[in-house]
Amino acid sequence: MSPTDADDQLTGTGSDTGTGAANQVARGGLIERVSRWIETALLTAILLAMIGLASAQVLLRGSVGGSLAWADETLRLLVLWAAMIGAVAASRDNVHLRIDFLSRFLSPGNRRVAAVVVNLFAAGISAILAWQSLRFVNGSREFDDQVLGDWPAWPFQVVLPIAFMLIAYRYIHDIWRQFHGGTPSSGDHEA
Amino acid sequence: MIFTSILLVLLALLGAPLFAIIGAGALLGYQQAGVDLTAVPIEIFGIAETPILLAIPLFTFAGYVLSESQAAARLVRLSSALLGWLPGGLAMVAVATCSLFTAFTGGSGVTIIAIGALLYPALVQAGYGERFTLGLVTSSGSLGLLFAPSLPLIIYGIIAEVPIDSLFVAGVVPGVLMMIALAAFCLWRNRENRRPISEFSWPEVGAALRAAIWELPLPIVVLGGIYSGFFAVSEAAAVTVIYVLITELLIYREVPWRRLPSIIRNSMVLVGGILLILGISLASTNYMIDAQVPQKLIGVVTHYISSQTSFLLLLIAFLMLIGCILHIYSALVLIVPLILPVASRYGVDPVHLGIIFVATMELGYLLPPIGLNLYISSFRFRRPVLEVCMATLPFMLILLVAVFLIAFIPALSLALLPN
Repeated sequence: MSPTDADDQLTGTGSDTGTGAANQVARGGLIERVSRWIETALLTAILLAMIGLASAQVLLRGSVGGSLAWADETLRLLVLWAAMIGAVAASRDNVHLRIDFLSRFLSPGNRRVAAVVVNLFAAGISAILAWQSLRFVNGSREFDDQVLGDWPAWPFQVVLPIAFMLIAYRYIHDIWRQFHGGTPSSGDHEA
Repeated sequence: MIFTSILLVLLALLGAPLFAIIGAGALLGYQQAGVDLTAVPIEIFGIAETPILLAIPLFTFAGYVLSESQAAARLVRLSSALLGWLPGGLAMVAVATCSLFTAFTGGSGVTIIAIGALLYPALVQAGYGERFTLGLVTSSGSLGLLFAPSLPLIIYGIIAEVPIDSLFVAGVVPGVLMMIALAAFCLWRNRENRRPISEFSWPEVGAALRAAIWELPLPIVVLGGIYSGFFAVSEAAAVTVIYVLITELLIYREVPWRRLPSIIRNSMVLVGGILLILGISLASTNYMIDAQVPQKLIGVVTHYISSQTSFLLLLIAFLMLIGCILHIYSALVLIVPLILPVASRYGVDPVHLGIIFVATMELGYLLPPIGLNLYISSFRFRRPVLEVCMATLPFMLILLVAVFLIAFIPALSLALLPN
């Protein structure tokens, strides 16, 4: 077993519901598989771009003493994108940091109820964050905010509402799956 | 207000993701203060305005690639060749290799899986008791978080607005102290069993050196670069990633290219989780400062506690308690903004506070009932959690003594810093 495989299993420490990225893929339909693939592809592209740009900066600074003027800001935007898409992926893989201390003391029935409540709460907060992010992006469009010199800022900021929308969808989807034969995926993750 | 706080704590304890809990707190707070709620996404967008954050995805990814390769095996082999001939040498090998590996891969428990799995059978074979071995391997897995390029120190630096290279320098002596404390305990416990595992052999040292020749420069370049101030932290991260990719994918070829996307996904899922709560907590921290929560906390604490000594004792007890239920990253974003002003009221230097915080949270990994390393160890070595807890207890107490020394002798952290 490679360390990462073990890591995957461990994110569900002591889990008796057996959710893991792999199971979710197996359970999901075509849309789930495709969207998961898109997440991985985007994350790969962003991280590789980040690595290329960051090491180019180090090389330039070391050799000619200068650096690309736009690179630092681009790198920071790439970090934001990696973080938000990573957060969407974390919702799918159900590995967001959480405490989950009480549910182990609940009966299976009550645990189901708790899972629904918790997922509804997470979906609601994510939806509000998506809505407020959308307002933020609209405001930025109106005021012509700019990044990287004279580029409009909003296409770079739009990752926020989209990511929170997808995260909200994920928690709704979890509830739906719970009522359609799936096991509750809100499980025994350590914060 | 009190009702909603209790409700949020209850939801958190039932397993609601922490970003939603912190987000709800920030949204409610701004709502009550009459601030437009777009303040929350604006703060999250602050992720894109904090240059140092670049180091987090790069170091995390490099750590994931390293833990997929055979680097851990080569590290263990080399340090066994160098130290194995000493009485009690293998225990020291365990402490040293675990620290180095954890510094580079973060405290995710991957050290126990990658290195512990190699050391466990070797230690038992060398005559160490099974229970001792279990405790040693479990507790060593959380050492090393005080050394560069430790992620918790970077995140503390961002939240507390303290220079990260100062934190790295300040962590050196306390980190070494914790290593020495564990190693000394190992020697003392095994004073009867003084049989070295092997003779010292130049050919084996040579062979182990040759095997690890491509990886050896990595800690030297990265640690040397950071501690000497030659590299900024994010530059060191870029160098580390490139170095690790070249050695593991091109030279050793132990990590196949097709594994890369899934390694990237796994590492970015962790990064996304950390940065999301970091971004949202920027918003909730701003609200708390507006609402003067730290001042109120100072008022309450100073009412009951007068001396720095009793404050530090209370702090350590509180952090250990927090360490039982919160992962180190969640604890950093939630607790640091609150205790930073209180600590400075008692004359605790923010750099020193960071070292105390991370050192105490290292213990949190070992604390029942939910210390992460206990479960990872129980899972990896197929032992009941209770047995792991009992085996780890003496090691935890030794580390606790080290934490007290670190807390009450500020010079351990601050002496190496300029001025």
